[in-house]
Amino acid sequence: MGTLNLEALSFRYPGRGETVLDKVTLAIPAGGIFGLLGPNGAGKTTLISILAGQLRGATGRISAGDEPLEALRRRRPHSLGLVPQEYAFYPMLTCAENLRFFGAMQGLAGARLRERAAAAAAFARVESVLGRRAGRLSGGLKRRLNLAIGLLGEPEILLLDEPTVGVDPQSRAFLLESIRSLAGAGRTIVYTSHYMEEVEAICDRVAIIDSGRVLVSGALSEVIPDDSDLEELFMQLTHRSLRD
Amino acid sequence: MRRLLALWEKETLALSRDVLGLAVLFLMPAAFIVVMSLALSDVFKGGPARRTEFAVIASDGPEFAKQLTERLAGDGFHPSPEPPERGVLHVTKPALTLIVPLGFERALGTPLGKAGSPPALKLVADPSLPPALLLAFQQRVLGVVLALRVSAMMRQAGIAANADAFDLKRAATLSVETIGGSGRPSSVQQNVPAWLIFGMFFVVMPISSLFVVERREGTLARLVSLRVPFSMLLLGKVGPYFVVNLAQAALMLLAGRTLVPWFGGETLALPARWDLLAAVTACTSFAAIGWGLLVAVCSRTLEQATVIGGVGNILAAAVGGIMVPRFVMPESMQRLSEVSPMAWALDGFHAVILRQGGAADIAAPCGKLLALAAVLLAAALWVHHRRRVPVSAQ
Repeated sequence: MGTLNLEALSFRYPGRGETVLDKVTLAIPAGGIFGLLGPNGAGKTTLISILAGQLRGATGRISAGDEPLEALRRRRPHSLGLVPQEYAFYPMLTCAENLRFFGAMQGLAGARLRERAAAAAAFARVESVLGRRAGRLSGGLKRRLNLAIGLLGEPEILLLDEPTVGVDPQSRAFLLESIRSLAGAGRTIVYTSHYMEEVEAICDRVAIIDSGRVLVSGALSEVIPDDSDLEELFMQLTHRSLRD
Repeated sequence: MRRLLALWEKETLALSRDVLGLAVLFLMPAAFIVVMSLALSDVFKGGPARRTEFAVIASDGPEFAKQLTERLAGDGFHPSPEPPERGVLHVTKPALTLIVPLGFERALGTPLGKAGSPPALKLVADPSLPPALLLAFQQRVLGVVLALRVSAMMRQAGIAANADAFDLKRAATLSVETIGGSGRPSSVQQNVPAWLIFGMFFVVMPISSLFVVERREGTLARLVSLRVPFSMLLLGKVGPYFVVNLAQAALMLLAGRTLVPWFGGETLALPARWDLLAAVTACTSFAAIGWGLLVAVCSRTLEQATVIGGVGNILAAAVGGIMVPRFVMPESMQRLSEVSPMAWALDGFHAVILRQGGAADIAAPCGKLLALAAVLLAAALWVHHRRRVPVSAQ
């Protein structure tokens, strides 16, 4: 799969006046981690939701290589994986039941389903809690289960929406290391976070958006001035006023 | 199909771990069936099966009072073992006290002229006595007085006659045959289908609650991102709750057969046509699940789902003859009840259980329930389509 290209992508929610995304143009190369940054309400989650196919009605064009993303997804439905910022699993089901259910929803069955569930559980290190109800796990384990579910279909494009919120430093370090290893396997990873040091540590390229517009985009080394860091650049571009 | 089966399995697992939700679905209707069947048993039995005590206070002496008492007794009316004194008639026992004025016995033998007025009797009644029972006793008193008057006048005319010969009950025998052979519903025949329907419609609670949680927790968004069609997500809820509704029906019939008689109530008479009972149950289930799906899609919070689903069910039950049988409602309310899906379902169950009807008798209620289910499902899809933003990403 080639570069994920967004060309002049615009979106507004039905019945609301303001534009949430305004002609967003980005090039997200395969095999790296692309950091998508912005203050609350900037349009990050909306952008992720459009890429994941949850929101329709956006104008502009999204393509993966030479092929429209929608066509790729019709051809290979599970080429794209999503790890949302919510714990998007069933708290009353066990971890194993959640993995089995979401695997089946991706068309996996029988031995292949068991194999993928075991591999995803092992990758996210949740094998020891497979029999426990997901709602009773610690915050770190919940995040890891969330990641495991997103990897069941072996997606080529992985969308990670603030995947480390509310976890302890050990779990965060583990998650970041895992995500880095996923990019090494040739995936395209879009990563949103409010933690600038995380983005600086694992992303190759970044884009900072605000009010639905791209303020800056490019390789980390290109966008951050020599005598500055990502957080300083972020504050400089998005200003200090509170957003919510 | 594999994905649909996975959705059914997930829904079943989720429901099986919701102990409170299951209690609402199974224990609530069972409790209502037992309590209401017992509490309303006298109301459904009518006069003869209900014990009502009465007393006669006659100023013409104890013999006349005794004669009247003996003639008035029967068909559920029993002489009070402790007749009240005149001064304590406000006490509610006995429920009926007939006060006979001085000279009444003599007046019975006197022909009434054109201008004459009949002898005056007074009946003191407990205000809580059902009007039908009061009317029945009034007719009974007038019948007895007529028999006594005719026999007294015939005696005066020199014809030996006993008042027994003019007893209205001896005039002719009148048997009543009702459609289906079982008459008006007994308490248990009314309450088992009624509270079963109420319980079946309560699947709105777990359906909508889990759906709201799925939307709030981002699970629905994840499923949409996996390209699971929304119509399949809705269908994924139909299978498990259909099974739940069938299980409710089986258990509530069992409660009517075992639990109610165990507590001293009547035993539910089972229908002759089980296939028709299954058809009515299935149609009711589809309507209930359709209602649950619409509430689920329309509700943004658990509170909304609880209020819309719960209040909607209670209103439909109140109007539809679940809480109060329709035959005791005034005509205007009976007409209004025809808009309640619960009334359609009750019509279907009564046609099978009470009237031992055939397929033609359940066609109309089943047709209405299925049409409603289709409309509700279409409305749920339409509401979802209109919003076009199924995720919590807003």
